[in-house]
Amino acid sequence: MTTFLVRRLFQMLVVITLSAMASYGLLYLAPGGPLLFLQQLQRSGPQAVTEEDIARIKARFELDLYLPYRFTRWFVGLPRGPITVGDQAFFSDLQVGCAIPGQVRLRYPDGRIEFIEEGCEVPVTMADLEGRDVSRGVMLGDFGDSQVILRDRPISILIESRLWYTLALMGVSTLLAILIGVPIGIYSAVRQYSRFDYAMTTMAFVGSSLPTFFFGIIAILLFAIIAKEAGLPYLPPGNATANRDYVIPLIGTVEARSTLDYVLHFIMPCAVLTFVNIAQWSRFVRTSMLEVLRQDYVRTARAKGVRERLVITKHAMRNALIPFVTLLAGVLPTLIGGAAITEAVFNWPGLGRLLIDALERSDYTVAMSLTFLSILMLLIGYLISDILYTVVDPRIRLS
Amino acid sequence: MMRTMFKRTFAGAMLMGLLIPLLAACGGQAEPQVIRETVVVRETVEPQIIEQTVIVEAPTAEEGATEEGAEEPAASTESYTTPHPILDDLRVRQAIAYCADRSEVAKSVYSFLDDEQREELLMDTFLPKTHWAAAGEDDGITVYPFDPEQGQALLDEAGWTLDEGDTVRMNEAGEPLTLKFTTTNAQFRQTWAAVFEQQLLDNCGIQIIRTHAPGSWWFGGTTGLQRRDFELGAFAWVGETDPKGQTLYACNQIPLPSNSWEGQNYMGWCNETASQAIIAANNTLDRDERIAQYQIFQQEFTKDMPSLPMFNRLEVAAASGNVENYNPDPTEYYTKNIYEWTLTDGGDTVVLGMTQEPASMFTQNESAAVQRIAAYLIGNFGHQGFAFTAADYDYQALALTELPSIENGGAALEAVEVNAGDMVWSVDGDAVELADGVEVINADGETVAFEGDAITMNQLSVTFEYQEGITWEDGEPLKAADFELGNAIECDPEAGTISLQICNSRQEIEYVSDNSYTITYLPGVQWPEYSVYSLYAYPSHQELSDGRTLADVPADEWSSLPEIAEAPLSLGPYRLVEWEKGQRMVFEANPNYYGGEPAIQNVIIQFFEDTNQAVAQLLTGDVDVLGRETLGAGPEVEAVLQEAEEGTDLQVFTLASPTWEHVDINLFTK
Repeated sequence: MTTFLVRRLFQMLVVITLSAMASYGLLYLAPGGPLLFLQQLQRSGPQAVTEEDIARIKARFELDLYLPYRFTRWFVGLPRGPITVGDQAFFSDLQVGCAIPGQVRLRYPDGRIEFIEEGCEVPVTMADLEGRDVSRGVMLGDFGDSQVILRDRPISILIESRLWYTLALMGVSTLLAILIGVPIGIYSAVRQYSRFDYAMTTMAFVGSSLPTFFFGIIAILLFAIIAKEAGLPYLPPGNATANRDYVIPLIGTVEARSTLDYVLHFIMPCAVLTFVNIAQWSRFVRTSMLEVLRQDYVRTARAKGVRERLVITKHAMRNALIPFVTLLAGVLPTLIGGAAITEAVFNWPGLGRLLIDALERSDYTVAMSLTFLSILMLLIGYLISDILYTVVDPRIRLS
Repeated sequence: MMRTMFKRTFAGAMLMGLLIPLLAACGGQAEPQVIRETVVVRETVEPQIIEQTVIVEAPTAEEGATEEGAEEPAASTESYTTPHPILDDLRVRQAIAYCADRSEVAKSVYSFLDDEQREELLMDTFLPKTHWAAAGEDDGITVYPFDPEQGQALLDEAGWTLDEGDTVRMNEAGEPLTLKFTTTNAQFRQTWAAVFEQQLLDNCGIQIIRTHAPGSWWFGGTTGLQRRDFELGAFAWVGETDPKGQTLYACNQIPLPSNSWEGQNYMGWCNETASQAIIAANNTLDRDERIAQYQIFQQEFTKDMPSLPMFNRLEVAAASGNVENYNPDPTEYYTKNIYEWTLTDGGDTVVLGMTQEPASMFTQNESAAVQRIAAYLIGNFGHQGFAFTAADYDYQALALTELPSIENGGAALEAVEVNAGDMVWSVDGDAVELADGVEVINADGETVAFEGDAITMNQLSVTFEYQEGITWEDGEPLKAADFELGNAIECDPEAGTISLQICNSRQEIEYVSDNSYTITYLPGVQWPEYSVYSLYAYPSHQELSDGRTLADVPADEWSSLPEIAEAPLSLGPYRLVEWEKGQRMVFEANPNYYGGEPAIQNVIIQFFEDTNQAVAQLLTGDVDVLGRETLGAGPEVEAVLQEAEEGTDLQVFTLASPTWEHVDINLFTK
């Protein structure tokens, strides 16, 4: 087991590094970013921007550094300047970026003139990195500063402000989905082709085919807007809590930010997510259960005269849930990552909505931090599911 | 062994024999000699002035260090100096304007507006009709009402005729009247461009071939518009309180390879009269003179038709019927007069909805509308929204006793003599030490090069005077030290300020009293909007949580300082008491506001990710106000308008946005 864990942790380190490199590179290639607005600024008049201004802003966002150095500074907080041994500083002159690119004017024989960027007019060296602000690196839990959403302030503030909301929404909806979806799947399999099975299969089909924002908008329309207009008890259309006290028929006045207010706001997003998860998981469990029920050992158990309930619970269900454990590995990153669309539709202040916001506003440091967290959680999820395998399936040995 | 080696050598030789001719054939001719010249990037490349006759002076060898041995090209032909075979003809450009029914084009995207509302969106020049510098038909501008007969006649006259049975006009050579039309792939533009295309074909036989390119290409730094890669090109400009326009229409603002594609005159339009007028309008501080120059410009602009203004975009703002004195404006943020708002139901809280959260309250590093809406509540550090407002395309004094101007004596333009070594404002817009060869504008408005003799230049000084009794939320009076700190931080590059031009142009600031200061600019500075270039004010007395005083905090810490970025002291009608990230900002009335306590006690700004959700909460009464920055003119607007029509207690405002759609006509080809 120890060998397995050591090996897995090493593998995780490699996978994290590679996937962080890949996602960092992809975001680097994406159009937009904090410098995009500079193109729209004028080069003359009271708001004119000079090459020095651009260089200063690039340095502020570290965009004057070459990609590998930028990545390592984000990932592990290095390099921070020349390597100093005693009084000796090494690599001081090593070029790590370019503050102002060089320009070359090309004159073609036909008289055309073209300007191209080539070389570097003002390089950034390792010595220039000394004194610049840098995080300790995401690997050490320091996500650095936000570039846009919470300009120049720590991303950890953003994550802390959203984490609880995401954990609550995802945790409760996942738990409910398991508690409801697994029995439905098992019962559907046991009573295959019954009315219940047909009803549940249809519901699961609808639930997994239609996007969550569709259910969200329909729910808001039915249970918030129409219900309120009809004078019926209604649910708040969105947010985590209300801004003012409000009156709901049959319930009375609900105080803003009270527990009841929170619960009322929680119901709709949680119900939509639970419904969608039930649809997916019940289908999965049903399929798995059906496969197990057709196995010889189940037939043998029945032939031996074991009671049906025991056959289902002791022989079939335990084996049917083994693939389900793999599915659970994916739950961990969603607990942190949240349900971006549902959170956006219901204006739930979770991490999923934060990710959408970060991508829309080109806040790459925030988007990278959330992506990194998701990768980490996914790997931890897989590690846990591997360990859980040994619990649910004695045939599996981690060694 | 030897045999094998021989076989391999032989096979290798055969392969090389096959490949070498192939490679030679593929390579084609040798690349022509290209002369490479290193450019000193920090020097602005002198733009070429292109006359309408399209003769462009070739760059001389002295402009750069020519590579040794390289031959100077005998002749030069600049790209984009060949007049467009069709669009160079004024009659064709005017015909395009006459053949387009712009009201119908606007209808295609704003079908829910009535005819009168749509007419209000149409533009005749580059300025909206209500702008103080806009010229009308009475001022001698040429207008282009929808008149297909007139358009057809102009095309006939230009030699583009329509034979019976044909749908597209042809010239004598049998060439069809076909033009490429490029714009973005946004659904909005796809919709109106399709109508525009159909109109030109049906009404006048002009065939349009549309290209809807990704915005990243169309607005890219080295592609699309910036490289003038279009014949007809549609996009939008955003109008401002000051008409500006010099970079868009002056002759020296035509992007060309030889000026490193600087400038935004993508049409390549150079009308000397118009160019001089727009430069003059931007180089005088006399408003009457500015209006006169802009009038000349607009006469030439509409006569030459290098760009067809289509329509102002629509923006919609809405509020619950409960909110009184809510008055959205095209050029000012709606919280400008929030201290005047009241709630008819007697409530004490108003909820504003926004689809974006401010990044920081540190105004000088932020330009987002949502930040300004929030910052106006707390006085925006003494700047716009507190000292003055910019409603309806003009400026108004608020905390200032009046807007300083030369006419009212608040500003002065004095002739001063400058000599070698004096700091002056150069023609290029830089603060420089006067030395031989430095070009400046003298007091007579002429560009002169310094040659050792004293030059007389104009020097601008502006006095800003604030009302008495202004205090911070903690009761501390606003004082000279606060403005001093404002100037220090605004002008420190470490604080994150992007452009330092205005700071660099200041020569001296004299703090006359705690509520008055005079800014003297360098000789040669002529900012047309000098009346509103007031200073920021920061509470220099404020003690921070770590025991320091705000005035002692280094500039590079300011953007991350909670006392500045998160919860700054207020000068405005409200003070910020809570900011729940991702959810809301909570403000309460500032008892020390110099204008008296506002009628509504609490203001909450609720943040949304999705406009649909914001509209849903407006309809359910959870939100009271959605501004134009949130509603815009998206599909959600129809739902709001429909609700208002059905008699719901909702106020809906349709505004002509400062953003206006137009079709630029490229007068040249590559």
